[in-house]
Amino acid sequence: MSKTALVVDDSPTMRQMVAFTLTNAGFTVVEAENGKDAVNKVARGPKMDIVVTDLNMPEMDGITLIKELRKIEVFKFTPILMLTTESTEAKKKAGKEAGATGWIVKPFNPELMLKVIAKVLPV
Amino acid sequence: MSDEFAQFQEAFFEEAAEHLAIVEEGLLALEQHPEDLDLLGKIFRSAHSIKGASGMFGFNAVAQFTHKMETLLDLLRNGHKTVTPQIADLLLKSTDCLKTLIDAAKNGSAVDDETVQRLSTDLATASDIKVKAEAKVETAPLPLTPHPSRCFHIAWTPPAWLFQRGLDPLQTFKELGSLGTLSEVQVDVTKLPELATMDPEACYLSWTMKLETVKGRDIVDAVFEFVHEDSVLVITEEVRGKESGVRGAERPSSTPHPLPLTPHGVEGEPKPLGEILVESGVVTRDALDKALSQQKRVGDILIEQHAATPQQISQALQKQRESAAHAKKGTDTASIRVDTAKIDKLINLVGELVITQSMLNDLGFRFEMCQMPVLLERLAQLERNTREIQERVMGIRMLPIGTAFSRFPRLVRDLSAKAGKKIQLVLSGEETELDKTVIEAIGDPLTHLVRNSADHGLEPPEERLDNNKPELGTIRLNAFHEGGNICITVEDDGRGLNRERILAKAVKQGLIGEADKIADDQIWALIFKPGFSTAEKVTDVSGRGVGMDVVKRNIDALGGTVNIKTELGKGTTFTLRLPLTLAIIEGMTIRVGKETYIVPLLSVVESIQPKIDAIKTVVGKGELINVRGTYLTMVRLYEVFSLQPEFTEPAKAILLILEMEGEQVALMVDEILGQQQVVIKSMEDNFRKVDGVAGATILSDGAVGFILDVRGVLEIARRGALMAA
Repeated sequence: MSKTALVVDDSPTMRQMVAFTLTNAGFTVVEAENGKDAVNKVARGPKMDIVVTDLNMPEMDGITLIKELRKIEVFKFTPILMLTTESTEAKKKAGKEAGATGWIVKPFNPELMLKVIAKVLPV
Repeated sequence: MSDEFAQFQEAFFEEAAEHLAIVEEGLLALEQHPEDLDLLGKIFRSAHSIKGASGMFGFNAVAQFTHKMETLLDLLRNGHKTVTPQIADLLLKSTDCLKTLIDAAKNGSAVDDETVQRLSTDLATASDIKVKAEAKVETAPLPLTPHPSRCFHIAWTPPAWLFQRGLDPLQTFKELGSLGTLSEVQVDVTKLPELATMDPEACYLSWTMKLETVKGRDIVDAVFEFVHEDSVLVITEEVRGKESGVRGAERPSSTPHPLPLTPHGVEGEPKPLGEILVESGVVTRDALDKALSQQKRVGDILIEQHAATPQQISQALQKQRESAAHAKKGTDTASIRVDTAKIDKLINLVGELVITQSMLNDLGFRFEMCQMPVLLERLAQLERNTREIQERVMGIRMLPIGTAFSRFPRLVRDLSAKAGKKIQLVLSGEETELDKTVIEAIGDPLTHLVRNSADHGLEPPEERLDNNKPELGTIRLNAFHEGGNICITVEDDGRGLNRERILAKAVKQGLIGEADKIADDQIWALIFKPGFSTAEKVTDVSGRGVGMDVVKRNIDALGGTVNIKTELGKGTTFTLRLPLTLAIIEGMTIRVGKETYIVPLLSVVESIQPKIDAIKTVVGKGELINVRGTYLTMVRLYEVFSLQPEFTEPAKAILLILEMEGEQVALMVDEILGQQQVVIKSMEDNFRKVDGVAGATILSDGAVGFILDVRGVLEIARRGALMAA
């Protein structure tokens, strides 16, 4: 049984890169273009083992998405990582308050990303 | 790895190869036009693409190295630095190095770290000279001093809402465990409220633990990155060396052999009783060791109780050792990627085989003579199935030879640069398939032959022009099937082998007498003798007198042959004839007395019925036979294997003329039975090495037949002749 991951980013390149890296690491990946798309895709769908989301997105931003996901029963304890270019304390704080598990600071390489994921996801 | 990602990676390697080619060509052109900024821009963009993509795919060594090249290229592109021959050379060498790094990322091939380091330093130096000429940056790596192991005591009280953010403390322990040895993990449950008042989603626990690691404080801190600010976290480092007075006394359990503890002590193997007793201080380690040394082995106890004999025990032990050895052997099996379509086809065929078998079964139960035609038809069907399955199974091991050819374009390019010759390489027949093991084994001999052609075969451009030949020399590599074999030819249009020079050299080395009359083929075969080289000077590429004999030996080991065709001034063609696979050979079955043997067909030249007066006996050399003017050593196979033959008179028997290593011998046998494909069963694996026998096989009547090792048979015969003399 491979693990499932939800990847949310409005930039196709970024989204694909994250998705490919995760696929490479053995995940089954669901991609979403923004927060709204993500919520639509998972609200009644299967449980995800991990969520990786961008913060600045049209329609619904990452912080709102995290809040929305934490309201869904099956996402209550799911690790959610946010992708952020700003490693400022304010962003981290906002993310944590919304319920984000952790963050990956851009730019990053696949190795680093998998390392952060290994931090929060039982293998 | 998922196919999709593998495809992307494959795409990256292809793209990288294209960019590398652009960089290489560009740099070569740059030497002619150092001022061409467009060209520089192009080279820079290619290098940049490689860097970007390799970083994305996690090939950091490639990304880092390309970054250094890119830096220098950027300076050149912006006119901060001008292209000098030294810089062009450095960049070309770096491109080569980059290629090996990419290959390493692709196939895991070896990388010369020293070269990478040296070129990195050179690139950095070249880049820095212009920017800050005064500060030469020393980029040599610091000698790695092993960090002493450090010991951290960690007390962690996570926030109550830990779980609600998707955090799992178990992950934290696992990560700490991955840094070193985590021990003395203790959980504090005192904050745990009564069950009635407990919030099941909150975290009430806190932990203390000890971590021994070579990593630094910052790495340990980083483990808690996501919870640091919200936790009560105290990490103290135990100062080693000074601790003995205070802490050492406090902690008698820190034995000289720290035992790795999994975070919760529930994973992995349970500890032996002795270890637990030592740890808890009930017994000392010395006492434990002493007790263990007195413990009897199961075998000894069983013998004492007369439950088993010592022989039975030693047999069982032998079996245990064998299976252990077997298990060890099993780990280094090579693997092969097979197209699933091939496997599907095979499964279909096996299905058909099963149907045929059940039809035959059915027929067998209620067989009447009138059904004979049906039986024959089904047997024919069985034969078809079997043959097809055999072919398909062999096909699984087959790979196109192109994989062995692919290394040559670059090799020839380098050789032409080194030797100052203009050489084009023409490849054909790359799609010809042959056994994977054969492909792997012919790489080196082929390389030797190509090197040889480039270095000795082809003339320098001036000499070619003088001889009315095009300046550009050609080396052709071709592969094709011929009968049950594969032929690979290495052809050059160079000067050809020089008969006189080879003869002179051979006489000088005492390989032949001055007055010997020798056929051309035998002269060409001389170049395969160890230490034989007619090159006037030893070059970097070849001519050290090693190589051609190695080629011959490698090809012989594969059961193949090498032929040389050459014409002075026109060129030389080496033809390698190899079996398609090493598991099945085409054999000629022969009979001596009641025994059947198989001779590899590849070594059979012809068979003759000799005239009695053609045979002469020479002291010390045994019997010789005159075959059309050439005297060949005659070997009576029945003497070699001490058999009772049907014929002892050569005139009544049959002589097989066999060729090996350019030498022909005549083997006397009673009868030739026919030709058939035989599956080789190794003697070493199933019995032991037997002189004169290359392997065994099952004959059509179910008996075991031996496959002759022609060289071995000849050696036995020679020993016999010497003893007789």
